[in-house]
Amino acid sequence: MTGLVGRGVARVDGRAKVTGAARYAADHEIPGMLHGHLVLSTVARGEITELDTSAALALPGVVAVLTHRDLPPLRVPSFPYLKGFVPMQDTRVHHSGQPVAHVVAETPEQAREAANLVRVRYRAERPTAHLAHALDEAFLPPLFRDEPNEFVRGDAGAALEAAAVRVEQDYSSPMMHHNPIEPHSSTAVWDGNSLTLYESAQGIVFTRRVVSIAFDLPEANIRIISPYLGGGFGAKGPTWSHTLLNAAVAREVGRPVRVTLTRAQMYTMNGHRAEYRRNLRLGATREGRLTAIVDTSTAQLTRTDHGVYNTSESTLRLYDCPNVHVRQLGVRLDLPSSSYMRSPETTAHFGLETALDELAHELGVDPVELRIRNHASADPHSGEPYSSKHLLDCYRIAARAFGWARRDPRPGSMRDGNVRVGWGMATETHTFSAIQSNVELTVDVDGRATLRAATQEIGTGTYTVITQVAADELGMPLEHVTTLLGDTAYPDAALSAASATVASVIGPVSQAAQDARKAVIALAVADPRSPLHGVPAEDVVAERGYLFARGDRGRRDSYRGALARHGRPVIVTGSRLNSSGHSYGAVFVEVRFDPRLATLRVSRVVTAYDPGRVLNHRTAHGQVIGGVTWGIGFALMEHTMVDPHTARVVNPNLSTYLVPVSADTPSVESFFVDRPDKGSTALGARGFGETPGTGVPAAIGNAIFHATGRRLRDVPFTRDKLL
Amino acid sequence: MKDFAYVAAPDVATAVRAAADAPGARFLAGGTNLVDLMRQHVERPDTVVDISRLPLTSVEETKSGGLRIGALMRNSDLAAHPLVRTRYPMLTQALLAGASAQLRNMATVGGNLLQRTRCPYFYDRATPCHKREPGTGCAAVGGFNRSHAILGTSASCVATHPSDMCVALAALDAVVEVEDVRGTRRIPLADLHRLPGDTPHLETTLAPDELITSVELPAPAAAPSRYRKVRDRASFAFALVSVAAALEVTDGTVAAVRLALGGVAPKPWRAVEAERVLTGAPATEESFRAAADAELAPAVTLDGNEFKVELARRTIVATLRDLAREGSRA
Ligand SMILES: Cc1cc2nc3c(=O)[nH]c(=O)nc-3n(C[C@H](O)[C@H](O)[C@H](O)COP(=O)(O)OP(=O)(O)OC[C@H]3O[C@@H](n4cnc5c(N)ncnc54)[C@H](O)[C@@H]3O)c2cc1C
Ligand code: SF4
Repeated sequence: MTGLVGRGVARVDGRAKVTGAARYAADHEIPGMLHGHLVLSTVARGEITELDTSAALALPGVVAVLTHRDLPPLRVPSFPYLKGFVPMQDTRVHHSGQPVAHVVAETPEQAREAANLVRVRYRAERPTAHLAHALDEAFLPPLFRDEPNEFVRGDAGAALEAAAVRVEQDYSSPMMHHNPIEPHSSTAVWDGNSLTLYESAQGIVFTRRVVSIAFDLPEANIRIISPYLGGGFGAKGPTWSHTLLNAAVAREVGRPVRVTLTRAQMYTMNGHRAEYRRNLRLGATREGRLTAIVDTSTAQLTRTDHGVYNTSESTLRLYDCPNVHVRQLGVRLDLPSSSYMRSPETTAHFGLETALDELAHELGVDPVELRIRNHASADPHSGEPYSSKHLLDCYRIAARAFGWARRDPRPGSMRDGNVRVGWGMATETHTFSAIQSNVELTVDVDGRATLRAATQEIGTGTYTVITQVAADELGMPLEHVTTLLGDTAYPDAALSAASATVASVIGPVSQAAQDARKAVIALAVADPRSPLHGVPAEDVVAERGYLFARGDRGRRDSYRGALARHGRPVIVTGSRLNSSGHSYGAVFVEVRFDPRLATLRVSRVVTAYDPGRVLNHRTAHGQVIGGVTWGIGFALMEHTMVDPHTARVVNPNLSTYLVPVSADTPSVESFFVDRPDKGSTALGARGFGETPGTGVPAAIGNAIFHATGRRLRDVPFTRDKLL
Repeated sequence: MKDFAYVAAPDVATAVRAAADAPGARFLAGGTNLVDLMRQHVERPDTVVDISRLPLTSVEETKSGGLRIGALMRNSDLAAHPLVRTRYPMLTQALLAGASAQLRNMATVGGNLLQRTRCPYFYDRATPCHKREPGTGCAAVGGFNRSHAILGTSASCVATHPSDMCVALAALDAVVEVEDVRGTRRIPLADLHRLPGDTPHLETTLAPDELITSVELPAPAAAPSRYRKVRDRASFAFALVSVAAALEVTDGTVAAVRLALGGVAPKPWRAVEAERVLTGAPATEESFRAAADAELAPAVTLDGNEFKVELARRTIVATLRDLAREGSRA
């Protein structure tokens, strides 16, 4: 142990990324490769009646135009394939922007232009695109991933009836899109019955499984390569239809084919955050103890799948409330499948944390105090104790740093000239998963280590923390450890989603590194040529690549020396299970509102978190900046507009789908309790990726209420709602 | 995008000749709008005449004390030009309020004048749009129209002209100089863009092969001026409403005023009615409000853009109020 863990070391892949050396999915040059371009349906519901590919085929460079008439049958995989159907297998159209043809040409430009020349006729039916137009069709969807959509604890109805104080309100949020900066790309290379895919995938092991089912191929015949991702935010977690179609097309044309989605295609091809409506009813005592929560949400579903991706997790588990009734309803609409999108639980949490603020106001209790009074010291649903939880510290630390004690609770009371100042807060929380993961660590004859795992770097710093942990356990300098990820040739490991990577992978990494260190020390002490010969193994320490006898540092060997004498690499594997759980935090927000033109600015954000042990303070802070920024987007601007008549996305580009720019984002302060969670095998670190930002939309809305006395319950909070 | 013939024009004569010889040709300046539209298959020219290297990139003083600005001058260079910054600060402010630094480094004066609407349906070939395909309908009227126009619209099109620069130019009484194989002519900015009527695909009074060579600004007025843009995020977004205004107050009375609006109309909107109400009126909040009301009285709103009337009213009043205050301090 050399104190590397926790330190804010810079990205080990930073240089490769800023110099362009890093190869993203669409950067791999494959000899003989063709370029594909998808033709997407222009109607949302109906039947293809005619498909004329002649003009496209006549264009120079065009090799083939494949449609449902040409593709072999593909089996529809189940989760993590979400659509419930594979496109281009028949004439049915389930949503606008569904693939109906796949053009293959020598250059991407030829393929794109040819795609534009494919003529498709439809027998179109009238689509339904918005919850508002079908709320009466809401139903309780069946189990999804073995989980029910209804949860009952105690008797919420009766408790609500009997409650001294009640809050009942509706909250809503529109469709939103992930918008990673790197578009999805898939390159299929067949060699007989074996398939290699260069893929933008957040879970290569997942992708391999989906492809194996769709093509009825053994997993051993499939290799997925994804060394770098330009973000994903959940959009690249599931495997989407372009990957399957492109692989099928490559097989048909007998050459490697790459398909890269356009930005516009990313608005119908790879999921989104569903539109939601939520009715929340809180019951409480006069002292502000929650006695009942009834949370009834309605999500947009499709006619081909019923996945509910934005569960009401925090309603069920965050606060100590004896009576809870959660129902996650859905409505089938003629839209693409939704999916997990950055911190999915934010959708429900926005409602809960706003409702709590409404309750605090109603009761005249400070919003922080209200949350402290309802703090859960054991899991309220299962009754299980927490292995560690420092949420109360988070409230205290962030409130103090923010200056919360100086808040005048009366709405509209804090001013700076014409500007109204508002302070709001919310709890931050998200679940994290833990997925069986394995790694392989090789200490080579040059004394340097290489770690391999089939997890991936989504941009959050996975290469860096893995390298840190391995170097620390090995007692090597950071530069002596190379981490290789994103290839299913390596041992199966976690996907980069569900806040699972650190929680799943770090245990195996640290175990493998420990084992490798012990193995090399054992070699040294057994070797008469080593200065450490005969020293008891437990008395040998490793630092900066050297091995010392404790208490007699003059007796010194090195990884390099020991391995050179050994003459062949030392290879160990690591695998260690972890359990899933929650991370917690608190966010405090200041907004400045100028009523003259209804101009709103988020001017200050202070956060504090309990993610267990922090493995790298720099990447953790980076995650907070990212999460808070997306939280600002959720609250103030993100909104996929779906045309009510055509069910087409109206703003499928970053010019009209607004996300925060730097000028919208203040500098964000973050504090960490930084105490290891003894329940976590990942050196006490919990999953943290999706926790920051979960409370931001509510905190902003609560701050707006404090500034103006106006309560907004429908995001985004745009200027027209504040005029 | 489809294949097209490419002509790189070294001088104006070559450029206008090439355009005259190839009907349907498009001039390529910074390309920030044209190339996007070609990639969306909305523009499908057979010939592209690259004018980006024409030597029309300078700012010169005119005899009458104004400025002549070359049509290929980059938006960023124009904004930073000392004569523009000091004499026409409203123009600098308008330019800097537009797009992003990267785009302003590419975008030219001529391209900015002729940039096309950002109506999202105009970009989507699968939806009806009279402007893109006359006779097909207008998807915006019954669809998402929060960003659409409230003044000067017609039943066939409710799209806005998206430029910031043009709003300042409208307030400044700019004149556009154009050239084609037949010769040159001068068009007041107010007459360059057309209202949609029932021909929304005809956006300007230019012939397709006419090249904008420069923009002339009359001598500057001494009055305090300002460009104010209201949008959905702090930067890098088109205007919901913008106001370019200059206000000269003498003894508490409005001696002269120039007022133009952006984000609310199919063309850069000179607020003639408001100017009429204001001129000679006391420089008070009441007059400002009356002027805004007069200008906005004919506004026609849709489901999504009703708020623009109130937002425009407030933005006009706030801008005039600030200018009146600034003038009285000076
Ligand atoms: C993401 C994004 C955000 C933007 N935000 C804003 C904003 O906030 N405010 C704003 O005002 N603008 C904004 N813009 C638009 C931008 O200002 C225009 O794209 C730019 O000014 C066009 O100039 P250009 O030189 O690139 O024109 P080009 O794309 O080259 O040409 C545009 C049109 O003008 C014609 N043309 C160009 N020059 C001449 C000439 N000399 N004579 C005759 N015809 C000519 C071309 O043929 C073409 O039809 C934004 C653009 C983008 C892409
Ligand atoms: S508003 Fe104009 S540009 Fe937009 S869809 Fe209607 S006709 Fe087309």
